[in-house]
Parts: sequence; structure tokens; C-alpha cells
Amino acid sequence: MQIYTIEALLLVFLIFITASIIYCRDILSSVYIYSAFSFCAVLLYLMMGSPDVAFTEVVVGTVSTIFYVISLKKIDRWCK
Amino acid sequence: MMKDPFGGIILNIAFRMLVPFSVVYAVYVLILGESSPGGGFQAGVVMGFGIVLARLILGEDTVQFNIQAKNSLALAGFGTFIYALAGWLTLFGGGKFLDYSFLPFTAEHAHELHALGILMIETGVTICVMMTILNIMDVLVRRSEDDGSVQ
Repeated sequence: MQIYTIEALLLVFLIFITASIIYCRDILSSVYIYSAFSFCAVLLYLMMGSPDVAFTEVVVGTVSTIFYVISLKKIDRWCK
Repeated sequence: MMKDPFGGIILNIAFRMLVPFSVVYAVYVLILGESSPGGGFQAGVVMGFGIVLARLILGEDTVQFNIQAKNSLALAGFGTFIYALAGWLTLFGGGKFLDYSFLPFTAEHAHELHALGILMIETGVTICVMMTILNIMDVLVRRSEDDGSVQ
């Protein structure tokens, strides 16, 4: 029963993190919050019993965070 | 490995510990991908992450195993070619496409041929994914420097 509680808590975290990614005015901050989204998704995948998907999410989340930060050199950081 | 410090103690230690660990761990993930979590795609992303990290810390000019943009694009195609070559070898051996039991190598059991074929196609996937990540990073960095024009 406790595992379901943790899972529900992580799902609520995912919803709040997604809302804060969408409504954040600073794109650099939303990139960092996206890595938190990736971490919660990894924990959920591990609880659901698929370590392969969790491993993929770890590596792709890390590399895509690097790419987003690099592409911020081109575009403006603040949403107008 | 670099002899003298190149950018603060944190970057120095991070480079010396993280980059070799990433590349060696990618090979581990590739080899043990059949019986444990992992495989070609994850190994390629981890290996590409090691080189991207070296390029971020050292800069694009001083990194020693730097791969140019046109070479990375060609090597991505080469990885795809390795994948297709495994299929063609099984076709020449008399089986269907990617039917590993018909690989033209000598082995005692069919399991060894199966493992060999899977290792071959996962090596191809690893090279393709790693070079694609390096090419994406090349394009991103060059676009930000060059006023939107890709060379």
C-alpha cells in the first residue's frame, strides 16, 4: 500500500512540475525544472518495473538538458 | 590525459573522473546489454555524453578526440551500414534478413551466433547514435556563433 502512496505522490509532483515548466518566464529555469521532471519520471519507471526505460530516460534527460542550455545561446532567455 | 590544469580544480577533477568513466561504462552497457538493462541506444548516448562533456569542459579546439561535423555525419551512416551488413551476411548465409542462425561464422551452438549477431547490430546502433549526438551538438554550437547560417 505504501508503494502506491509514493507513486501517487510522484504523479502529483509530475503534474506540478509540468505546470511550472509551462508557466515559467525564465527559459533557463524551465530547462532546470525539466531535469526534475526527468528524475521523477525515472523513479516512476523504476517502480513500474522497467529499468530499461528508466535507463534510457536518465541518459536522454541528461543529454537533452545539455542541448537545451546550448541552444539558449541563440534564443532569448526571458519570455516576453 | 592532460598534464597541467586547464580551468579550475572542479573542472579538472570532473574531466579526469567523468569522461573515462562514461566511455568505459558505455562499453559495459553495450556488452552486457542482452542480459541486463541497456543496449545499443543507451551505450551510444552515454558514450556521446562523455565526448560532449569533454568538449564542454576543454573547448572545441583543445579536446584531443575531437570529431569534425562531416566525419561524424559519415560515421553515423557507417553505423547504419554495420546494422545492414549483419542482415546482408545472414542473407548470404542462406537465411532470412537478420536471421542470426545463418551467420557465416563457425560456432558450436546457435546461441553463440545469436549473441554475435545481436552484438554486431548493437555496435552499429551505438556508433550511429553517438555520432548523431555529436553532430547535433556541432550544429547547435555553430549556429549560435554564425548568425544562423550552417556551414
